Amino acid sequence: MKHTKKNAIARQPGISTGHPAQLVIGLTVWCVWFVVVYGSQAVACKLAAPDPIVGAFNPINLMLGLITLLIALGLAWGAKTCWRSTGSSASATALNTRQAWFIARIAAGLYAVSAIATFIVLWPLLVLPPCV
Amino acid sequence: MTDTSEQAGLVRELNRVWANLPGWGSLSAVNHSTVGLRFMVTGMVFFLIGGMLAMLVRTQLALPEQNLISVELYNQAFTMHGTVMMFLFAIPVLEGLAMYLIPKLIGARDLVFPRISSLGYYCYLFGGIIIMSSLFLGVAPDSGWFMYTPLSSNTFSPGPGSDFWLLGITFVEVSAMAAGIELTVSILRTRAPGMTLSQMPIFCWYILAMALMIVFGFPPLILASILLELERAAGMPFFDVTAGGDPLLWQHLFWLFGHPEVYIIFLPAAGIVSTLIPVFSGRPLVGYRWVVLSIILTGFISFGLWVHHMFTVGIPQLAQAFFSVASMMVAVPTAIQVFVWLATLWMGKVVFRLPMLWIMGFLVIFVCGGLTGVMLALVPFNWQVHDTHFVVAHMHYVLVGGMFFPLMAGLYYWLPLVSGRMPSQRIGQWGFWLTFIGFNITFLLMHLTGLLGMPRRIYTYEAGLGWDWLNLLSSVGGFIMAAGVALVLLDLLMHYHFGRKASRNPWHADTLEWVLEQPPAPYNFVSLPRIQSRHPVWDNPELGERLQAGEGSLASIEHGRRETWGTDAVTGEPSEICQLPTNSWLPLLAAGTLALLCISLLLGWYLLALVCVVLAALPLFRWSWENGGHPTAAPLTQEPPGECLLESRTTDGPGRWGMIITLLADGTLYLSLLFGWFYLWTASPQWSAPDAGPLSIWGLALSGILLTLASLRFRQQARRLARRVDTGVLAGLWQATGLGVLHILSLIFVLWTAPLAITESAHDAVLFFMVLFLLFHSVLAVIITALQAWRTRLGYVSAHLPYEPQVVWPFWLYTTGIFWVSLALFALLPMAWGPSP
Repeated sequence: MKHTKKNAIARQPGISTGHPAQLVIGLTVWCVWFVVVYGSQAVACKLAAPDPIVGAFNPINLMLGLITLLIALGLAWGAKTCWRSTGSSASATALNTRQAWFIARIAAGLYAVSAIATFIVLWPLLVLPPCV
Repeated sequence: MTDTSEQAGLVRELNRVWANLPGWGSLSAVNHSTVGLRFMVTGMVFFLIGGMLAMLVRTQLALPEQNLISVELYNQAFTMHGTVMMFLFAIPVLEGLAMYLIPKLIGARDLVFPRISSLGYYCYLFGGIIIMSSLFLGVAPDSGWFMYTPLSSNTFSPGPGSDFWLLGITFVEVSAMAAGIELTVSILRTRAPGMTLSQMPIFCWYILAMALMIVFGFPPLILASILLELERAAGMPFFDVTAGGDPLLWQHLFWLFGHPEVYIIFLPAAGIVSTLIPVFSGRPLVGYRWVVLSIILTGFISFGLWVHHMFTVGIPQLAQAFFSVASMMVAVPTAIQVFVWLATLWMGKVVFRLPMLWIMGFLVIFVCGGLTGVMLALVPFNWQVHDTHFVVAHMHYVLVGGMFFPLMAGLYYWLPLVSGRMPSQRIGQWGFWLTFIGFNITFLLMHLTGLLGMPRRIYTYEAGLGWDWLNLLSSVGGFIMAAGVALVLLDLLMHYHFGRKASRNPWHADTLEWVLEQPPAPYNFVSLPRIQSRHPVWDNPELGERLQAGEGSLASIEHGRRETWGTDAVTGEPSEICQLPTNSWLPLLAAGTLALLCISLLLGWYLLALVCVVLAALPLFRWSWENGGHPTAAPLTQEPPGECLLESRTTDGPGRWGMIITLLADGTLYLSLLFGWFYLWTASPQWSAPDAGPLSIWGLALSGILLTLASLRFRQQARRLARRVDTGVLAGLWQATGLGVLHILSLIFVLWTAPLAITESAHDAVLFFMVLFLLFHSVLAVIITALQAWRTRLGYVSAHLPYEPQVVWPFWLYTTGIFWVSLALFALLPMAWGPSP
């Protein structure tokens, strides 16, 4: 069967990729992740600060790095799903479908940028100790 | 309807229903055009005052070792300059512009909550007057526009200056929140039929983002201001290290607001740029979807940068790196927009009229400001220039370049719409060039002054440090800029008398506001359009005449109501008819009593303050009373079958959306409180918590159960009404009220019996504030429910009028939710964590 916008958008499980909530989910995840990483780093340093000599390879950085990687991958998956759901635009004539396509296209970009924005923060975790 | 006499009759009736009252009665106006213009004019007055303060500062700094004004006045001048420009000029003027334009752009007759527009304006006006009065009384705040503690605390600022700032600004912020909520709901729910999200004018996307950023960005500062005022007035030590508080908490809360604030100012201005460039290029905006994407990105990422204002306070390097990266990332969506603008200019045939001069000035200045922003995002560079004039120069490049220049472009662009006349090209050009040259002389050189080490906010400086000629030229540039601004204002004033008449749609624009009369009628559109493209006027040049002839929808006024469409948020298809309130004195009365409350708090007359709270509540509850099926709003009548229902006859209208957006703002304030609680817990050097929590867990649990039962009882009635059944609703609402009263009494008992030392311990002060926060919501929920019961008895709420309980239910849900979350995080979690050392 030809993969069209109409059927692809309708087939998504959970919130459809054309739902307006998709415009904010990716960046909301990014915001929450950002606050969690910043906050948990502060709390972890308060409770069990690693020796600065150990450098970047310590339990705090490893844990934060793992969370970051998982979140980045999840957001990248969101980008891929939204992008694939838009497929060909030829049969998207119905009003609702056109809007769903518009939203899914932008959401794909937003998920992708959120994933990149999350992934970039990995590099400070690779080079800097957490509590100095 | 095409008959001329019928058309004239329709226009006459529309004018009668929508007109403001004459004379002093115009103070009761709620119409968006009137209120929007009032915002802008008042903002320009504050701008002139702020500008004069800047001139005072520049005069003092022009030469070394001067003492033209006293140190005290100098400190007040720079503090008030920043405060006035940020809080009383930039945001209100842009809000005013948005309030004026949005209904016209989306094909609506008014904003969705007109009385809130009016309340917002009066709060802004009175709040502004209160703050400015401190300057004329010689007691203005002098701790800088971001009011860092402990400098702004009682110890170092014992006078009333800080109180003027805290109370006045909070008052003004109520106005900003009102505009944010109203604009959000209006854009999402009252667009013209057929105007899908993808067909919205690009300006509306920017304003939607700005409005939502206000909703989420302002509550942290509102909370911080309340906490600091409580510390100053009641001795609750939230920011006092010796009692377990932390002054850095203020910085976090302030910049949680402060950095998004920059983008709250920039986004609408960028919206003006994205609107004007296609018009003067004669082609659609290149990359509409890219711009929408970058608007949303900017809105979110700007909330992840606040710590870059605090790089020097001793935060670990890793955390600084997070914020450094985020600060650089925010340049990406801005760059996308710059490339979109350049591409549109490149691919179009640009006509350089007066508004375009300001747009070109914006592009040059803002790009420079953006680049120094990326420099400041780098931690080592930031440390070097922290608190120097380099930062002052950067900030002005971003804010003046990013807001003032586009605002001027927008004012010149929409001037023919407002007045029906054209500005003077010659005076306008002189005004632009003087402003542009003066600005760059002032602030380009200031980068160098900062790099040479001149700190900001110093009263004077020694000669021979290499700063002399730079400061002199900066001051000269400041006066050249002032002359430019004066010319622009002169042009704006004179054009009302001497400007030539503007033709219809003089710039050949594509958006709906240009199909209106110039100046527009108070109802905007005689009949409302159906939108089928992103450029309705380019695609259908006769649209204005057809709408004026009544060929659109809602072209009847026999009912005497102010009406506009309520539409689906995504597709723009009509779902209900919104009945909008007419002229009302209630907003003025409410704002007036709130101003009295503010003044009585400033004077320390707390008994009067309590009276004012009651007095302010009266017009507000009366306001809520004149809604829905009330005879002054839209009494129950037999509507013709097949038509869209009035909002009060439905179960999900814009009012419900307004409630939900308001709760999002309230929830952000609550999250900020949670942030403060955890921050003090983990970061305050002398935080101390008792072994056993001072609040009774069992007492709180019992109170929570009563609240939950009240909430469930209310929900049951709302559901019944949604099913169009009203049997037993009246009794159910009274039962919910009764249970709510029991909950409030039990919560007061818990608070009364708790051994809280609120002036000696930040821990206890936070707990006390948290319980007060819960009590406030519970009391409000109970009063509203009692009013609902009363309205049910009078027939204003019924099976045919089921709407209001659907609006109130989210409030009950929220009140119950924050109660249990508070019990878990403020009372139970500390027990698991254990006592502090």
